[in-house]
Amino acid sequence: MKTTYKFNKSHIAYFIMPVLLVFFGCERDDFQKLDERNWQLVWSDEFEGEAGELPDPSKWTFDLGTGEDGWGNQELQRYTNNPENVSLDGEGNLVITAIRDGNSFTSARIKTQGLFAQQYGRFEARLKTPFGPGLWPAFWLLGDNVDTVGWPQCGEIDIMELRGQQPHIIHGSVHGPGYSGGNPVSGSYTLINGRFDMDYHVFAIEWDEDRIDFFVNDFLYQRIEPEDVPGEWVFDHPFFIILNVAVGGSFVGFPIDQTPFPQRMIVDYVRVYTAVD
Amino acid sequence: MKAYTFFRSSLLIAAGMLIILFAGCERDLADLEKASFPTNPEVFINGFSPGLNYAAFGGSVPTAFSVDNQVTYSDQSTASMRFEVPDAGDPAGSFAGGVFFTESGRNLSGYNALTFWAKATQSTTIGEIGFGNDLGENKYVVSIQGLNVTTGWRKYIIPIPDPAKLTAERGLFWYAAGNIDGKGFTFWIDEVKYEKLGTIGHPKFAILNGENQVETSFIGVSTGVGGLMSTFNMPTGINQAISIAPAYFQFASSDPSIAVVDEAGNVNVTGGPGTAEITARVGEVDADGSLTIQSLGEFEHAPTPIHDPENVISIFSDHYENVPVDYYNGYWEPWQTTQSADFTVDGDNVLHYFDFNFVGIQFASPTVNATGMTHLHVDIFLPNQLNANAQFQIELVDFGADVSGVNTTNISADQSQQWISLDIPLDDFPGLTSRAALAQIIFVDAGGNIPSFFADNIYFYNEGAPPPPGDEPSSPAPTPTHPANNVLAVFSDAYEMIPGTDFFPDWGQQTVVSIIQIDGVNTLKYSGLNYQGIQLGSNQNVTDMEYLHVDFWTANSTELNIFMISPGPVETSFSLTVPTTGWSSIDIPLSSFAPVDLGDVIQLMFTGNGDIFIDNIYFHKN
Repeated sequence: MKTTYKFNKSHIAYFIMPVLLVFFGCERDDFQKLDERNWQLVWSDEFEGEAGELPDPSKWTFDLGTGEDGWGNQELQRYTNNPENVSLDGEGNLVITAIRDGNSFTSARIKTQGLFAQQYGRFEARLKTPFGPGLWPAFWLLGDNVDTVGWPQCGEIDIMELRGQQPHIIHGSVHGPGYSGGNPVSGSYTLINGRFDMDYHVFAIEWDEDRIDFFVNDFLYQRIEPEDVPGEWVFDHPFFIILNVAVGGSFVGFPIDQTPFPQRMIVDYVRVYTAVD
Repeated sequence: MKAYTFFRSSLLIAAGMLIILFAGCERDLADLEKASFPTNPEVFINGFSPGLNYAAFGGSVPTAFSVDNQVTYSDQSTASMRFEVPDAGDPAGSFAGGVFFTESGRNLSGYNALTFWAKATQSTTIGEIGFGNDLGENKYVVSIQGLNVTTGWRKYIIPIPDPAKLTAERGLFWYAAGNIDGKGFTFWIDEVKYEKLGTIGHPKFAILNGENQVETSFIGVSTGVGGLMSTFNMPTGINQAISIAPAYFQFASSDPSIAVVDEAGNVNVTGGPGTAEITARVGEVDADGSLTIQSLGEFEHAPTPIHDPENVISIFSDHYENVPVDYYNGYWEPWQTTQSADFTVDGDNVLHYFDFNFVGIQFASPTVNATGMTHLHVDIFLPNQLNANAQFQIELVDFGADVSGVNTTNISADQSQQWISLDIPLDDFPGLTSRAALAQIIFVDAGGNIPSFFADNIYFYNEGAPPPPGDEPSSPAPTPTHPANNVLAVFSDAYEMIPGTDFFPDWGQQTVVSIIQIDGVNTLKYSGLNYQGIQLGSNQNVTDMEYLHVDFWTANSTELNIFMISPGPVETSFSLTVPTTGWSSIDIPLSSFAPVDLGDVIQLMFTGNGDIFIDNIYFHKN
């Protein structure tokens, strides 16, 4: 059953010509010429199932409620495990739905904590984001020693975050001791004439002991190496996966009256690979 | 540079006239669509794009628009469009507005938005701005209403609802802007062009404001699908509402044997009994909202009016001769949503108002003198299921005295889908102090839950001989004979009365109360009784009394009751026989008023009608 995928990165840049590399225009021309690697799929969820089903309990668990101080970010939503907030759509997708009810919001946050974690490899998801001011979707990793060493010592890798008022920009970041919260090491990727909420895009990192590379549709837009972080490099142990849609919070600001609700993040798949020789 | 031309002739007086003028072009346009039109996206970059003309709207300041070579949105731009919005009262025109159009069309189907940069001398609002106004049919007109602009250049986007429609569009850009609080302003627009944007999306469309309405109907009834709405999500993630023409919607009926719908959203009920659902889509997107027509078959006519034509002034009825009416729907801007879909079944003309919030009928030339009338009659039929009780408000306006009065009828939810005949006394329009020059009837959905209604037989009438004013009694009531020590008197010259009693309490009644003297005897007179209270000067314990005595006289009353009231209130009535022949005297056993607390009587009250004379109200025992 194990499938080996082979990516040839040297050709990838040609079919994403329209992309404007705002932040990396000064990088060397061969930035995209990565070493060829063999990736072996070790964990995935394709979200096949009946419409209305909760995500596979052997793979995912829930964060529920409002956390402490809105999950540390003054977020407004209350996370539930109700199918109206998180369920399969019967068409091979997981849908996380943020719902407005007056001035209160519900949404969902699922994670593989205690079920799956991995050190190094390729983590990717194909998804469509929600949109609108105050929406904050994320596909991210958290060090699975969070319960013993705490955050940010455990490390956090944000593979994809988006502010709903800028549905054409995604952000990739790492948080660790001395570079966390509002001060992560971060890069962004801008669609010049498109949006991340209108079509599926593949968001991925490739992570080894020397670096974390960030990709959109297999275009490398950011590389973070140990010398790039102004503190301890803590990305040397297993991390687990989180998918969530937050409403409001310090990253994105409040939703406004014109923010359309409900809002959905539609996830086609999440896949994790390990490099093989 | 200044290749634009002004059309300031009467050609531009009104869009309505223009539709007629250009209607003949329709057939040609269909033929023209086979030709390939230029796809040039540019409207105004550093000047007019090829073939572009400008025409100011009638009534606007014709010189409001000019090309500005000083103020531009970027260093690369050498010219912008400048618009000067006049102050209130400017003799040159009341607003700035016009159309940028081409003589032959352009194929814009490869784009999905009109974009431009704009700024103004102050943060302000441009009333309406968009495209698709071709000085003709305006078939595919689109606009943003109330576009907010600031003093800095910003880019604005107006989405095209369905680009596939715009294969030969002549109306490339239009605007209309009025003063703000009487003050004009200047705004600039630059870099006007069509684009294919990947940064806008999530189009949403709605008919009937997105509601699923159910309407009872009949063969021959017409209605319309209003409440057209559209939003697009802008690059900032915010939904922008745009106003779009009906022609972008493709309407469909689930059963054309019951109801058909044309491309403008006009619905005609063709059969029944049966049900048809009217829905719509724009391009590939289904619109929210639907109209379910439940046809009952043959039309149920409004009740035939019963009033003598001699006593009627008719505004709308097939049973009477109607006075001249200016209009049955004034389409009053800017807040009225109500549209009309009047219909005729078997020669019976019926008004039909839909997308109802308020609507006015005007008959000002000449106005109507209704001083001889007593009532307004209207038959209404609410074809939609009511989700709650409704308040149907009618306002009458008198142009002579410049006064108006409002009457509101509560309609319970179970009264929908049937004819309701309203007969409202003209005296029940408070504030309507004159009805010598009536000129308007305004219907208002005061509760906000009446989507539409039929109306028929709208007329004023005199209800005929009102109860003839009764003569006064020629003599006073008989002098009571009960010994004073057995009597507790409320009103009588013959006894000492309970002190402090109020014979004129204001309980909201219409009755006119007076105390008159008949041969020197004080007598209570109730004119036009509906009800009238008597507030006793103090609480009375009448447990040791046996009867309540009343003398009464009326020539015209058909109903008269007397109430005794104790705190609670606990009240019980006793019916008096009317009219009377001369004075009637009655001694009512107090036991008739159970369960009123006879140990604590506080009030008496009369109800009924007509003109009543009353005397010698007292408790007594034998």
